[in-house]
Amino acid sequence: MNVSRRKFLQAGSAAALAATAGCNRAPSDLLPFLKPASPDSPFQPPQSAAIDLVSHCINRLSFGARPGDYSRVRKLGATEAEAVAAYIEEQLDPDRIPDKLARWAVRRCETLDGSVGELFEYKERLLLEELTRGALLRAVFSERQLFEVMVQFWTDHFNIAPSKGDCRWLKTADDRDVIRRHAFGHFPAMLRASALSPAMLWYLDGRANRRRNADEKPNENYARELLELHTLGVHGGYSQQDVMEVARCLTGWTVRGTKESKFRLGKVEFNPHLHDKEAKTVLDQHIPAIPPNLSREEQERLGSGELDLVLDIIALHPATAKYLATKLCRRFIAEEAPAAAVAAVAEAFLKSSGNLRDTLRALFATPEFLAARGGKFKRPFHFITSALRATGAETDARRPLTEFLDRMGHAPFQYPTPDGYPEEAAPWMGTLLWRWNFAVAFGENKIKGTKLDTKALKLRADGEAGLLAHLLGRKPSEEELRASTESGAPLSLALASPAFQRF
Amino acid sequence: MAQPKTTQTFLTGNGDAQRALIVVFLRGGADGLSLVPPLADDGYHRARPRIAIKPADAVKLDGFYGLNPLLRDLEPAWKDGALAVIHAVGSEDTTRSHFEAQDLMEHGGLAAGGWLGRFLRHRKGAAAGPLSAIALGRSLPECLRGAPAATAMTSLKDFSLDAPAKFIEQLGDLYTANPGALGIAGRDTLAALRRIDELRATDYKPAHGAEYAGDYFSQGLRQVAQLVKARVGLEAASVDLNGWDSHLSQGTVMDPEIVKLNKGLSAFYRDLGPLMATTTVVVMTEFGRRVEENSAFGTDHGRASAMLVLGGGAKGGRVLGRWPGLTRDVLEGPGDLPVTTNYRDVLAPVLRRHKAGDLATVFPDFKLAPLDLYG
Repeated sequence: MNVSRRKFLQAGSAAALAATAGCNRAPSDLLPFLKPASPDSPFQPPQSAAIDLVSHCINRLSFGARPGDYSRVRKLGATEAEAVAAYIEEQLDPDRIPDKLARWAVRRCETLDGSVGELFEYKERLLLEELTRGALLRAVFSERQLFEVMVQFWTDHFNIAPSKGDCRWLKTADDRDVIRRHAFGHFPAMLRASALSPAMLWYLDGRANRRRNADEKPNENYARELLELHTLGVHGGYSQQDVMEVARCLTGWTVRGTKESKFRLGKVEFNPHLHDKEAKTVLDQHIPAIPPNLSREEQERLGSGELDLVLDIIALHPATAKYLATKLCRRFIAEEAPAAAVAAVAEAFLKSSGNLRDTLRALFATPEFLAARGGKFKRPFHFITSALRATGAETDARRPLTEFLDRMGHAPFQYPTPDGYPEEAAPWMGTLLWRWNFAVAFGENKIKGTKLDTKALKLRADGEAGLLAHLLGRKPSEEELRASTESGAPLSLALASPAFQRF
Repeated sequence: MAQPKTTQTFLTGNGDAQRALIVVFLRGGADGLSLVPPLADDGYHRARPRIAIKPADAVKLDGFYGLNPLLRDLEPAWKDGALAVIHAVGSEDTTRSHFEAQDLMEHGGLAAGGWLGRFLRHRKGAAAGPLSAIALGRSLPECLRGAPAATAMTSLKDFSLDAPAKFIEQLGDLYTANPGALGIAGRDTLAALRRIDELRATDYKPAHGAEYAGDYFSQGLRQVAQLVKARVGLEAASVDLNGWDSHLSQGTVMDPEIVKLNKGLSAFYRDLGPLMATTTVVVMTEFGRRVEENSAFGTDHGRASAMLVLGGGAKGGRVLGRWPGLTRDVLEGPGDLPVTTNYRDVLAPVLRRHKAGDLATVFPDFKLAPLDLYG
C-alpha cells in the first residue's frame, strides 16, 4: 500500500468515526487507543478450508471476529491450541482488558448509571432506548467479548420485559446491578441479587405475594419461575407443592411502586405482617414456624431469612448445576448439549460453589467444545453485531439499526415471557428475509447512523477471496466465491449467505 | 435457479377444494371461566365474589353458560350455528408452567415437531406450496415445527427483498446447495417471496362491511383473510394473541385482550362470509386459571379452560364437553377446574375435516376419542 492511499484511508476512518460519534469527536487521549482498530492496516484472514481452532474460539466466545482479530489471537501462542488457551484465559479475566472504546461508545447513555431513585425521573422510552443502545454498542465495541456474551446469556436466563409495571424504570438497575455485576461472579450471589431485584419483584409479581391469614393465597408466579427457569429446571424434581411452599417462604417481600407512593420508589422491603409464619417444607427440607410471641425484629429476621433458606436449598442443587450446564453447553457447544460436556460443566459448577468463571473454563476445556465447529445458528442480534464487527463498521445503534432487530423479533429486552429468547435455531428460521434485507442495506451503506468502508476493507483483506475468508472464518468454497462475484454485491451476499448465519 | 412460477401453478397445496385452518393461541393461560362463564353454577360466583361475570351482563348462550359481554360481537356466529364452544378442555400437563404446557400442547404430546407441522406433512395428497403455512408474527410457533414449508411474517407489506435479480439468484443457489434446515428455510423464503410479490400488487378490501381493528391480532387475521381469498394454497395459519396471564387484577389484564379477540374474530367471520364453510378458526390456550380468585383480584395458573371452533362446518350454537361442576371434591390440585375433554379430541375432528392423514401420526401415544363436532 502506498503512502498516499494509507493517509487517505486514515483520514476517511477518522471522519467516519467523528460522524457516528454523535456531535463530538473522539477525545484525543483515545486516538492512540483507537488506532489498532482503525481500518488502514492489512490483516491476515484464516487460511484453512475448514474452520480452524482459532476461528472457532473467536466465533464462540465473541459476537464475531473483527478485522485483525484472527491474527492477533493466533499470535497469542506458539500453536493454535496454546493461542486459544491464552485467548480463553484473557477473556475469562475481563477486568484486566482495557475497554475504553466501549465505555466511550456508551458515554452518552447516562441513564445506565442512574440510581434506582433517579431512574424514575426519566421517560421510560429513553430508558429502553439507552438499554438497547448500550447492549448493542457494548456487543459491537467491547474488548471484553466473552463477558458481553455472558451478559446476554444471563439477560435471557433472568429475563425481564420492561413493559410490565415499574419494570419500565427498574430494568436498567437490574441490568447493571444483577446481570452485569454478577455475570462473571458466583451464581448464588447472582440468584440472590435477582430475587431481591426491584424489577424482578415487579415482573414476576413477587411484590404482591402475601399471606396475612390462612384464607389468603400466595402469588406463585415468582416461586414457580425461580424453580423452573432460574434454578432446578422444569424436570428438576420439584412438585406443585414445592412451588406453593416456596411462594409461602417468600411472602412479605415487596417493592415500593409508583402507584402507592412517591417516595423511595423502587425500594425493596420486607414486611413481616405480610409473611406466612406457619411451618413449610421445601424439597423435603423443613422450615419451622415462626413463634408469634417473638419481637417484631426477631419475626422480621426469621421471616426475611426464609428467602436465604430457600436459595440455599436450590442455588447449588445438583439439578440446578445440570440445568445451567445444559443451557451453557447449548449456547457454546451445540443445540443438543453433549451429555459428557454437561456432566463436566455441572461438576465444575458444583465444585466451585457456582463460580461462573471456573464453570466456563471447564466448558471450554471439553473435547466437545473444541470439536463442535460452525454448527450453531446465529440469533438475529448475533447476526447483526457480527456483521458490524466483521466489517469494522461504525454505528450509533439507533432506530434505523435496531429496527432490523424488531423485525426479526430479537430486540434487546423485549421478550415478553420469563423464559427469555430461545437459543435454538428453529424459532429463528423465519428471520432469513430480514437478514438478507439487512445485508443488502448495510452493504450499500443505506442504514442511517451506520457506516462501513467496503473498499478499504477489501484492500486490507487483500482482495475479495481474503475478505470472504475473513467473513466466513475459513476459505470460501468455489461456489461461494463465484456466487459472490456474480451477485454484483459480494459483501452483502457473503453476509446473507448460509455460512454467515452460522458460527 | 427456477424462474418464478405463476399463481395458478402453485395452487397445488389443496387446490380447488381449499380448506384453511387458522389456529389462534391465547398465550399466558386464558381464563375460560371469564370467557365463557358457567353462569348457573353457584360455585363460580362463590369462588369469585369480586371478579365473576354477572348473569345480567353476560351474553346468554344456553340456560347454563354465557359469553363474556366483551365477546358480544360473536353472538351472530353463535346464532348462525357456526360457533361452537368446548368447555373444561385442556391438556394432561399438570406442571401449570406456561412454557411446559404450551410446549406440550403445541407439540401435541411428546413427539418430534408440532401437531400442525405433522398434520401438514402427513395430509392426504400433501404437496405443500411455499404459502401452505404461515405464522403471523416474527417467529414460528412450536406447533408449526416440522411443517414442510412455513413462513413467519408480520404483514404482506413487509415481505420483500430490495435487491437486484442477479443477487437473489446467487442467494438462491447458495441456499439450494445447503443441506439441512437452513437450506430448506432459505428456499422456502425465496419461494414465498415470489408469491407475496404477486399478491402485493393488488389492493385488499374486506367484504360484507367487515371492519378490522388496528391491533396486531385483527391485522393478522386480515392478512390471513386476504391469503385465504387469494387462493394461494394456504392450509394453515397461526396467529397469537398474548397477554392472558392475569395473576393481578384480572379485568385490567384480560379485558383489552378479550376486546381484541372479539373484534378480530367477528371481523374475520364477516369478511369471509361463505368461505367460512371451508375455513376453520380454532381458539386455544395452554391452561385455564384457578377457580378461586387470589388476594390481588387475579387468578393463578390452573388446569382446564375453554376452546372455540368457528366455521369449517362445525355444528355450532352448542357448548360441548362435560361440565364437572365446581364443588371441592371435583376440583383438581390447588383448586382447579379438571380437564374433562383433552384438546386433541377437539383438534382431531377438525383435522379430519381438513383431510388429515393418519391421526395417530399427528397425535402419537394418545388414545383419541374425537369430539362429535360435526354431528
